[in-house]
Amino acid sequence: MIMSGSATGTAPKLSARNLAMTFDDGTTRVPVIGDVSFDLHAGEIVAIVGPSGCGKTTMLNVISGLLAPTGGEVAWNVEMAHRRPRIGYMLQKDLLFPWRTAKANVMLGMEIRRNTGAEAHNKARALLDQLGLHGFADHYPSTLSGGMRQRVALARTLIHDPEVLLFDEPFAALDFQTKLLIESDTVRLVRSEGRALLLITHDIEEAVSMADRVIVLTGRPTRIRSTYTIDLHPGAAGDRNDMIAAREAPGFSAYVKQIWRDLDVGRERAA
Amino acid sequence: MSVGTASTEAAAPPAEVAPPAEAASRTGNAVRRRARRTRLLVLLTQLALLAVLLGLWEYATYADRQAAFMFGRPTAIFGFLVTMASDGSLFRDTWVTGMETVLGFVVGNVLGTVLGLALWYSPFVSRVVSPFVVALGSIPIIALAPMVIIWFGTGLASKIAMATLSVVVVALVTSYKGATSVDPDQINLMRTLGARKWQIFNRLVVPASLTDIFAGLKLTVGFALIGAIIGEFMSSSEGLGHAIFKAGSLYIIPKVLASLVATIALALALTFVVGKLEKRLMPWRRDL
Ligand SMILES: Nc1ncnc2c1ncn2[C@@H]1O[C@H](COP(=O)(O)OP(=O)(O)OP(=O)(O)O)[C@@H](O)[C@H]1O
Ligand SMILES: [Mg+2]
Repeated sequence: MIMSGSATGTAPKLSARNLAMTFDDGTTRVPVIGDVSFDLHAGEIVAIVGPSGCGKTTMLNVISGLLAPTGGEVAWNVEMAHRRPRIGYMLQKDLLFPWRTAKANVMLGMEIRRNTGAEAHNKARALLDQLGLHGFADHYPSTLSGGMRQRVALARTLIHDPEVLLFDEPFAALDFQTKLLIESDTVRLVRSEGRALLLITHDIEEAVSMADRVIVLTGRPTRIRSTYTIDLHPGAAGDRNDMIAAREAPGFSAYVKQIWRDLDVGRERAA
Repeated sequence: MSVGTASTEAAAPPAEVAPPAEAASRTGNAVRRRARRTRLLVLLTQLALLAVLLGLWEYATYADRQAAFMFGRPTAIFGFLVTMASDGSLFRDTWVTGMETVLGFVVGNVLGTVLGLALWYSPFVSRVVSPFVVALGSIPIIALAPMVIIWFGTGLASKIAMATLSVVVVALVTSYKGATSVDPDQINLMRTLGARKWQIFNRLVVPASLTDIFAGLKLTVGFALIGAIIGEFMSSSEGLGHAIFKAGSLYIIPKVLASLVATIALALALTFVVGKLEKRLMPWRRDL
C-alpha cells in the first residue's frame, strides 16, 4: 500500500490500481477479486453494486488495509492520523459496544487517539444532536432502535473528520423511511465537508440516489462490468442531497433499470 | 473543526425518535410494578413448597424413631441449629468455611481469569497449552486432597488451596471462551481506528468477556465451597466440613443436616453477592 503524506488538490483521495485478491489456504485457491481499478475524489460519492458474494466486502477490507491484496495496490492521498490514513469505516452491523453509552461509543476513536478533551466531548454531543439523537447521549445501545443505533455508528465514524468513508451496506437492515432519512443525512454530512464516500450496497435505488458514480461489478472473480456517471436534475426546488427528490428526478428509473439489467446478465453468466 | 452544516432545518427529526423522558418512565413504572408482583408470587410459592415438604418430612418421621434416626427430622434439625447458634459453633464454623471459600474463590478466579484472558494474546500459546488445560480440568479435585495436605499442611492454607484448585480451570476456560468469541468485525473496527493490540484488549476484549466471566463466577461459587469442605473432611479442627464429618461419624444425622443447612445458606449468600456484583459491574445489561 502506498501512502503519500501530502494532500494535493486534484489527485484522487483514493486510487485502486489493478486490485486482485485470491484467498489461498494451502489446499484451495479462491480468486475473489479479478482486476479492479477506480479513483475516488474529494467530495465524491461512488457506489459499488454487484451480485451477492462477488467480493465487495473483501474489496473494502483490502482498501481499508485489513487485508493485503495479492495484486495491485491502493494509493491514498489523505492525511495520516495516528499511523493510519484518516478514513472511516462502517458496516451493516452497527458494532456498537453494549457496555458504552451512545456518546462513549462515539468517543471510541477519540480515546484510541488520546484526544478526549472537552472539545472532543462537545463534538460528540453536537454530532449526536445533528443526527437527531438529542437527549440520547447517555443511553446504552440496548435501549435504542436499529435506526438510532446506526446513527450512533455514523457519528462514531464521522467524529474524527475522515477524508474518505468506506461503507459496506450500512443501511441494509433499516426500514424504508428510516433509511431515506439517514441516507439524506449521510449525503449532506459527506458533501458539505468535501469528504469522499465509497458506498457498497445491494440496493440499486440507494446507489443511484446517493452516488455521483455507480460501479457495477461482475460475479467472482470480480471485475468492473460498467460504470455510470449519475446525472440527476431534481426540479428547480429539488436538492441533490434529498433522497426523495432524487428518486423522483427524471432519469432516475432509467439508471435503475439499466443497472438492474447489468446485474442480471452477471447472474446468468455466473450460473 | 466543525462537523458539517447539515440537517438543522432540512431533515425533520426522525420519526422513530420520541422524547425519552416522561412517556418512557410512565410505562416503565407499570412494567416495574408488574415485575415486582411476579417476583413476590414466585417467592411465596417457593416458601409454600418448602413448608409442604418440611411438613411431610416431619409427619413421616414423627412417630417412626427408626426413620427419624435415618433421615433426621425438621424440628430436630432446627433444635440443633438453635444449640449450635447459642454455643457459637454455628457462626464460627460458617465463618471459617466462608473465609476459606471466598479466599479460594478469589485466588482461583483471579488466576484463572487473568490466564484465560491473556491466552487471547497468543493463539500459538493457547494452542500449545489447551491439551494440558483439558487434562488438568479432568482431574477429580478430591484425588488431589492428600497431596494438598502434604504440601500446604492441615491448616487454613490447604483448604484455600483446595478451593482454588476447584475453581481455577473453570475460570480459565470460561474467560478464554469469552475472550475468543469477541466479534471479529468489532476487532476490525478497532484496527481501522488505529488501536494497538493492548487497546483492543483493554477496551474490547475484557469488557466483552465480562458476561462469560460472570457465568464462570456463578458456577465456581459452588465449586469453591465443595473444595473447601473436601479439604476440611481430610483434616481440620473447625469449619462446616469438620462439623459435618464429626457429626456423621457419631451418627447424629440431624446435626449433619443442620450443618448442611448452614452450608446451603452460605452458598446462597455468596451467590447473591456475585449476582449483585454482576449487576453493578454491567449496568448496560437490562436482563439482570
Ligand atoms: N478468508 C476467506 N477465505 C476464503 N474465501 C473467502 C474468505 N473471505 C471471503 N471469501 C469468499 O470470497 C467471496 C466473496 O466474499 P465477500 O464477503 O467479499 O462477498 P460480498 O460481495 O461482500 O457478498 P455479499 O453481497 O453477500 O455481502 C465469497 O465467496 C467468500 O466465500
Ligand atoms: Mg458483503
